[in-house]
Amino acid sequence: MMVGSKVDYDISNLYIPKDDKRDNDYQKSFIATLTIIVKDKDGKVIRKYKQKSHSPTANFIGLMIPLTWYNATGNSWTFVNTSNSTFGYAPSIIDPGFGMGYPCGSSNHNTYIVNILVGSGSNSSPYSAYNLNAPISNGSGVGQLLYSSISTPTSITINGSQAYFIISQSYANQSGATITISEVGIITFLNFTNIPNSSITPGSSLIWYDVLSSPISVGSGQSIVIYYTFSVNA
Amino acid sequence: MLIQNEIPKEDLDYILEPFKEEKEEDNKQIISEKIIVIVRDEKGNIVDKREQKMRSLTQYYLALISLGILSTYSSPTSTTATSILVNVLGLPSNQYSYDGDTAQITFDMSIQLGSGTQSFSLTLNSLSAPISNGSGTGQLIYYSPSILNTSNSVSEILTVSNNSGNTITVSEIGLMGTIYLIYAGSSNNFVAQPYNFLFSYDTFSSPISIPNSGSASFQIIITFSG
Repeated sequence: MMVGSKVDYDISNLYIPKDDKRDNDYQKSFIATLTIIVKDKDGKVIRKYKQKSHSPTANFIGLMIPLTWYNATGNSWTFVNTSNSTFGYAPSIIDPGFGMGYPCGSSNHNTYIVNILVGSGSNSSPYSAYNLNAPISNGSGVGQLLYSSISTPTSITINGSQAYFIISQSYANQSGATITISEVGIITFLNFTNIPNSSITPGSSLIWYDVLSSPISVGSGQSIVIYYTFSVNA
Repeated sequence: MLIQNEIPKEDLDYILEPFKEEKEEDNKQIISEKIIVIVRDEKGNIVDKREQKMRSLTQYYLALISLGILSTYSSPTSTTATSILVNVLGLPSNQYSYDGDTAQITFDMSIQLGSGTQSFSLTLNSLSAPISNGSGTGQLIYYSPSILNTSNSVSEILTVSNNSGNTITVSEIGLMGTIYLIYAGSSNNFVAQPYNFLFSYDTFSSPISIPNSGSASFQIIITFSG
């Protein structure tokens, strides 16, 4: 697709890398990391696990597309919530506008991070994943983990040549049996609105998804903490 | 939802510890950015071609990413914005909007060229010597950006022409971000309040000369690997 004026004809889709994943010849500027700490019933660390996180979903990519793209193409982006329902949305800064709900006086359309969801399955295509393959529900029954509240950062931390923020959540296994975690995802409640109060509400939506390189076993009485770190590196 | 208390030092040390071994699959780019430049003389002949990776995202781009991850509200029931939006981007914690109207947020990006150089900093917020839009001395004419896209990439192309009467040298390039807060003003007027940031900053390995009456296209490709 090419829109706009005065486009140089030497620049075309041919210049868009088909697969930048193999392009490893320079330091990565943006890095996401998934860290899991396993603790015994006394809170003592018994295992640590870390891997590079790779997988924004199509929902996240839609949120990162600039307004110019929407204006120039006239397209909307299709968001898919965790129930596999679809919602077309395009932002606008022309009256009456359209955007992600922002805190205001009284007509709030809360848009917020819900949790770091864990599961026991795997999806082969993170890009098109709309939910975990086999989410582990919150509770102390069979096959369940007790979710704490998600913890969010107060700011971006700058440490030397790195800037980062971390989100985290803890999970306790009180189910009476070992539970294995093989997939992790970030769920955000999406709510788009305009000035007259019309809204498009996909609701709970998978934003980020990772399959663990090695599944993590959480024994009965044990707990884990999951940290997602997002950083840029000079 | 909890606002983050101190992460245990032992955990934080481990979280921030660099990976000892880089497996091939670990090297996959999540967000990769590339710059392509084509320079033409007054007859339309290509006189220079460049292609290089962007290396230098700022903390403001990371704050934009937080908009995708953390979203805008600090909790499901709060009426305050996330701490990063307030503390890093300087946005209001709660945006006034007339008579119970809503408020929203969205953003845009554009390319800015410059003729200086400076050391990169994560908090950098402008080019060293931005080249302004026009046909006067030291200026380039900026045309409306064009957009290319695939399912996982968006590419912004800035075309400029040089009618200044002299060769113009471009040595730095930035991806400028504008975040808009949309709300109803006190007279029930529509407002899209812009907040400007520098999302990325790069210098060219050697400066790019755009001859008088020549033109150049600068393409920034952002690819997401889902």
